[in-house]
Amino acid sequence: MTLLDDAPLADGAGAAGGAAKGMPEQPKRKVRGLTRPEWAEYAIALVAGISLALLLRTLLDWDDVMGSAIIAGIAFIGVHYLIVRERTSPDVALDKVVTTMMWTVGAVIVAMLLWMLSYVAVRGLKLLNWTFLTTDLSTTGSLEEGGGALHAIIGTAEQVAIATMVVVPVAVLTAVYLHELKGRLAGLIRFVVDSLSGVPSIVAGLLIFTVWPGYAGIKASAALAILTLPIVTRASEEILRTVPDSLREASLALGAPQWKVVLRVVLPTARTGLATATILGVARMAGETAPALYTAFGSASVNLNPLNGSQSSLPLFVWDLIRVPDQRQNDRAWAGALVLVIIVLVLFATARWLSARADKKLGRR
Amino acid sequence: MSTHLDHDQQHTTTEPPVLTPQHLGPAAQGASSLTATDVSCWFGSRQVLERCSLSMEPGKVTALIGPSGCGKSTFLRTLNRMHEVVPGAKIAGTVELDGQDIYGEDLGVTEVRMAIGMVFQKPNPFPSMSIRDNVLAGLRLSGKSAGDKDTVVEESLRRAGLWNEVKDRLHDGGMSLSGGQQQRLCIARSLAVHPRVLLMDEPCSALDPISTRVVEETVIELAHQITIVIVTHNMQQAQRVSSQCAFFLVEEQKQPGRIVEAGDTATLFTNPKDQRTLDYVTGRFG
Repeated sequence: MTLLDDAPLADGAGAAGGAAKGMPEQPKRKVRGLTRPEWAEYAIALVAGISLALLLRTLLDWDDVMGSAIIAGIAFIGVHYLIVRERTSPDVALDKVVTTMMWTVGAVIVAMLLWMLSYVAVRGLKLLNWTFLTTDLSTTGSLEEGGGALHAIIGTAEQVAIATMVVVPVAVLTAVYLHELKGRLAGLIRFVVDSLSGVPSIVAGLLIFTVWPGYAGIKASAALAILTLPIVTRASEEILRTVPDSLREASLALGAPQWKVVLRVVLPTARTGLATATILGVARMAGETAPALYTAFGSASVNLNPLNGSQSSLPLFVWDLIRVPDQRQNDRAWAGALVLVIIVLVLFATARWLSARADKKLGRR
Repeated sequence: MSTHLDHDQQHTTTEPPVLTPQHLGPAAQGASSLTATDVSCWFGSRQVLERCSLSMEPGKVTALIGPSGCGKSTFLRTLNRMHEVVPGAKIAGTVELDGQDIYGEDLGVTEVRMAIGMVFQKPNPFPSMSIRDNVLAGLRLSGKSAGDKDTVVEESLRRAGLWNEVKDRLHDGGMSLSGGQQQRLCIARSLAVHPRVLLMDEPCSALDPISTRVVEETVIELAHQITIVIVTHNMQQAQRVSSQCAFFLVEEQKQPGRIVEAGDTATLFTNPKDQRTLDYVTGRFG
């Protein structure tokens, strides 16, 4: 919205190009990064912190690595504060302390995630190969080689797909009722949805097991749907909230009836956000064990029919095989866990990518 | 609400047109008069406008001026039934488009809003649509048949003074334009349904001076074709674009806004009847 925005592009480019012509390129000033005294302060504080931790370790005969690391960290922050305060001021020193703490917290979280992922990867990669993805366990004895999780992958795919097909339309319609129509029952429905989101997953499974006995993949879908409906509904409502009211007003002022405002303007604008909400719901469903325990029950062979007969799923596969005191079955469980983690990660990455694209499109960035 | 008969008599010079949905197409194009009589507005129990009467002449630009919070935007929104969109909003009085009550039973709210378009303070193109689709949005949203879509797009963008800048990128997103261009896109979007009146709520307040100038030129250009009502904080703008002017004021806090003085723009700015108008237009308060 500056003056240049509206000027024809050629003019702007011409003026800028003309000014730079014949001039030596200007060196860019360094504005980020640490100055030399700052480097020195960090180095001194780090040496001091580690030395103190090592000293205490030797003097008191400790052998706990974690404890020493924490002591080193605290000593580092303390020493750093004192020297920075000496050179500059207490405000700057406090700023440094808070910065260090932020970085530490961030690093710890990233480290934990990486550690968990790499642990699953290392344990799971032992058996993860093409055979694992394309065979089931119906003919493979527990001590034999080969066999895989195809039945579990198929089960997860079917159960999650069916549940998603039920959950997404219901959740989006509910969100539209709550936020667009602001119907008379909105308060009550929001309360019910919120209460539902607190239902423990095992209870959802037990409920379906009781009211709809017998084993079948679709019963697991029903339990998963109960579990994810409130999550996707509230997420969708939040997404609809991000659609600016000015767009609704603009549509109404053009003579649009409300259903067309929702269908043609609000939902298309929220499309990517709703896709993100859906994917997060799907990822949640893919990882749930308890709702499938008494409903899909689990099986060792491929069951393509979700309507009848017990069916496996990836979490059930992992749960079944990790309980057995047998190395090969445990390895299979880890490989299954790795497949599950990869599926969920891919889904999350897709969600992030979609929402980044949506932000760019709406000019939010 | 008064009867239509009384007011039809005011239009002795022209045949009182009967507004039916069929008449709202391009055939009904052209300037219309808009007459507000004793319009009062409430948000819940708080009254924000008190008995405002104003006649907006066909084919002229009427400016609504006054300090912030004096109800001029609310008044504008009553003119195409956008006031009632806010929950708890109430209204009294009549607003007549060519003698027909827009709050009456003969007209649906959709028809009213198609006949009386609106441009908002902040440019609000639909982000999910291309420039072309934004222009056509009004037709699609109101379910009106478009005829030749390319013609509608070009004609509307030309009338809004945007055609030359966007003719090669009609399929780009509406948000890819600069603020001033977005606002003219919104004007084009309103014009595409061939409204007989265009309401503009501070259309330039979010724009830089150059974009403002272009939008003002567009307004002056459009004034030959349709009736325009524009809310503005900028008194120079009111003088540049309008021929009629109404000055709104809230005299005491918590009181509803009233029209202090209305009439010819030149007279209102140079020789107002009311002392408060003089104070405002000379910048002594507000």
